[in-house]
Amino acid sequence: MIGLALFLALAGQVGVLNPFQGVFLRITSPVESVLNGVFRPVASLLSGAGEAGNLRDENNRLRLENEALRNQVGELQQNAEDIKGLRDALNLTQGDQSVKYVAADIVHRDASPFTDVVTINRGSGDQIQVGMVVVSTKGTLLGKVTKVTATNSFVRLITDTQSTVSAEILGTGADGSVKGTPNRGLSFDLAQGEIQVGDQVVTAGLGGGFPRGLPIGRVASVSGTSQDLYKKVTVEPGVRIGTAENVLVRTDFIPESLGLED
Amino acid sequence: MKAIIAVAGTVFAAVWQVTVAPLFPVWNITFDFVLLVLVLVAAFGTPRRAMVCIPVAALAYGFLANREPGLLVLAYLPLLPLGLYLEETRVPLNHFGRTALALVATGAWARLLLVLGAVVGGASANVGFVLFGVVLPGLFLDLALLSLVYLPLRLLGWSGQSMSLSRGGYYSSL
Repeated sequence: MIGLALFLALAGQVGVLNPFQGVFLRITSPVESVLNGVFRPVASLLSGAGEAGNLRDENNRLRLENEALRNQVGELQQNAEDIKGLRDALNLTQGDQSVKYVAADIVHRDASPFTDVVTINRGSGDQIQVGMVVVSTKGTLLGKVTKVTATNSFVRLITDTQSTVSAEILGTGADGSVKGTPNRGLSFDLAQGEIQVGDQVVTAGLGGGFPRGLPIGRVASVSGTSQDLYKKVTVEPGVRIGTAENVLVRTDFIPESLGLED
Repeated sequence: MKAIIAVAGTVFAAVWQVTVAPLFPVWNITFDFVLLVLVLVAAFGTPRRAMVCIPVAALAYGFLANREPGLLVLAYLPLLPLGLYLEETRVPLNHFGRTALALVATGAWARLLLVLGAVVGGASANVGFVLFGVVLPGLFLDLALLSLVYLPLRLLGWSGQSMSLSRGGYYSSL
């Protein structure tokens, strides 16, 4: 049996099992669809009932944020009109037309305190490649494709303990790296700069694994004294990663990993 | 026929493990349905059947969750030697006690091994969290799940079987 385990470990490393994995995933996908269809609504219902108190607090906070954001939107709309006018005057094309996404459904998830990997129903047949970036339907960073079969892909979420993303604080220039922590949390290891609760964390683009400027979340807590070399910073993801059902894979971004990020 | 049902049940448990189990976590831990089915096959079927089901479970779960099948074989492997040991040393436990002990020990080993796999892959972990945040809650969940399933199966008329391989059984069957 131990010999079999070693054989399977070797076969897995060499990639002999990959074709079988693709076929297996294809065969089991109808069963997964049925189970998802039956149990996801139940889980959502239970999750909503269990988090009623948290949702109330979150709702109050979001109301305040919403008001502030509405005010900001007004200012930004004014700025956008000014910029459009200036672009027209300079004859520049507006917006980045090269960004391309492929929509996918999360078919299942392997979640334990140390791992957070989801499987999506798009594979190499849909031009998905290893290393491509996966975002939520609103554009928040979710993770990265780690393995691709013909019909499915595995995505390591940023909350996986093996995930590291170089990140920065929007507007202040403080940078560091966001890492997954046990129990699907996020921590921010600050390399330099000041940081405050509520700061927006976005990808820094260092290392070539992720494009710059993708939203990750906001700083939820900063603990430690001014004497500490490194403060303990936790980040609240910008999207409820646990309940996400649909994702977007950014197919235009070809990663140039320099080994700094996973 | 029973062997085919056992294998099919194992594959279904792996599918259930990645689709349904993560939807209902308790203390951020998911129930290990794959281990439960393997224990039930060993406790109510035959150890030989369980020996076939362990690699099947490892392959199915490994394929679905993109984990190393070899590591999963090692994770679930202690189940049979443990069952055999508990039976041969005449530990004063009934069939449920022996089954439960084999389950929680294998479950704890499996979770530790998978944490070790994650740490080798680059995850950071401290011993306190692994013990109190992973192993102990997992042990409790495994036991609760077995308790929920064991009694109904006995009431359905399933009888507990020995976990020891009958020596010479293979040659005597020739």
